[in-house]
Amino acid sequence: MEEHKAYIESGILELYVLGQLSAPEMLEVERMAASAPEIKRELEAIEIALEAYAIENAVEPREDLFNTLEAKLNPVQQTSFSIQPPPPVKVEQRSNKSLMYALAACVGLLVVSGIALINAHVELGKAQQQIIALRTETDRYAKGMNVLKQTNIELQTVADMIDDPNWAIVQLAGTKTSPASKMMVYWNRKSQDVVLDKSRMKLPENDQAHQYQLWALVGGKPVDLGVFDVKTDSAQILLRMKEIPKAEAFAVTLEKRGGSVNPTMDQMVVFAGVSI
Amino acid sequence: MTTPKKLKLSEEELVQALKNQDITVMRALYDMYGAALLGVILRITQHTELAEDLLQETFLKIWHAAEKYDATKGRLFTWMMNIARNLAIDKLRSKDFKNSGKNQDIENNVAVIDNQKKQIINIELLGLRDLVTGLKPELSKVLEMVYYNGFTHAEAAEALNLPLGTVKTRIRTAIVELRKQFN
Repeated sequence: MEEHKAYIESGILELYVLGQLSAPEMLEVERMAASAPEIKRELEAIEIALEAYAIENAVEPREDLFNTLEAKLNPVQQTSFSIQPPPPVKVEQRSNKSLMYALAACVGLLVVSGIALINAHVELGKAQQQIIALRTETDRYAKGMNVLKQTNIELQTVADMIDDPNWAIVQLAGTKTSPASKMMVYWNRKSQDVVLDKSRMKLPENDQAHQYQLWALVGGKPVDLGVFDVKTDSAQILLRMKEIPKAEAFAVTLEKRGGSVNPTMDQMVVFAGVSI
Repeated sequence: MTTPKKLKLSEEELVQALKNQDITVMRALYDMYGAALLGVILRITQHTELAEDLLQETFLKIWHAAEKYDATKGRLFTWMMNIARNLAIDKLRSKDFKNSGKNQDIENNVAVIDNQKKQIINIELLGLRDLVTGLKPELSKVLEMVYYNGFTHAEAAEALNLPLGTVKTRIRTAIVELRKQFN
């Protein structure tokens, strides 16, 4: 008895209630409490005092706090309150039920994960499509840029040619066959280069079976200077033809694809004599 | 304090229902002890919003850890109170709380911080006035440290520069005084 009193007086029971003891110390207190009713009573008295102390210091929570809490509780099951201890079978059912709930939760989680995965996949697909679209657009701009660059170079060449006195500018006018047609040929008497200016060309578009053929008249005879196509969507401006040292006139006829040895005279679309 | 609407049950009924995972018991526990637990948490954290969050966490833990409660080892309230205290003290010691405190320090000026400190002191004084009136400051100080400030009794002894035995005796004496007050 005296021993118990000293134990109580040591203050260890208070520390036990305050959760201040290590696991072995707690076990010791529990062992003592189980064997000595006066220690058990003392413990309870301490607990009740601290409980009363806490209740005396209570602070009412804001009114809707329990509702928030209730939503988080996620009940394992909802039954009316019963003070009778449940029969063991019921306990069995409950654990089964909780297992079912856990299983349902797992399935739910799986479904949610699946949906999230599909969503992510769809999003990824969209992103890839966007990347492809952007790449195509970039390519298109790059191509456009090249065309512009090329055009610019060619226009610069035209400008240089006009400045150069060696270049003769020959304007070919439409014939009876094609009065609306006209064309421009640049001819360098010195270098013998012959260049067509497609930007100043007005010829009907040729089909797949035919091509235009450029001729030079030299000593009254037609000399082949090469074939060309007329396409409205072509960005090319300057078209280099075969060289010719001398020419009295230039003419264009519409021939079968690949050109002819002699011009088909009734298919002549433009013609011009060269002034010397 | 208690309105007729609030549920009240005996400790045995509460424990039984809690063990059976009967959700109704949570309303009863909340009605009976929510305010007391909030008082404890608030005393530790000094921050109403945080304290209410921690009160919710406490009840969630009570609900989920119900099977661990052993009635032979102590009263239900003691168990719940220690859950609440541990959560609150852990929160105060946790990084994110310290960080949020730091952020506040940066955002606010010194005057505001001083005000906050004064408020804390005022709350402490208010809390102590009617309840621990009987306690001598040396007793209330030790109780405050181990009960609300998360000190172990060994840490309290070191902080107060007292022998461990003295701290233990003071805690006991303080609680004996409380027992007298609450009969």
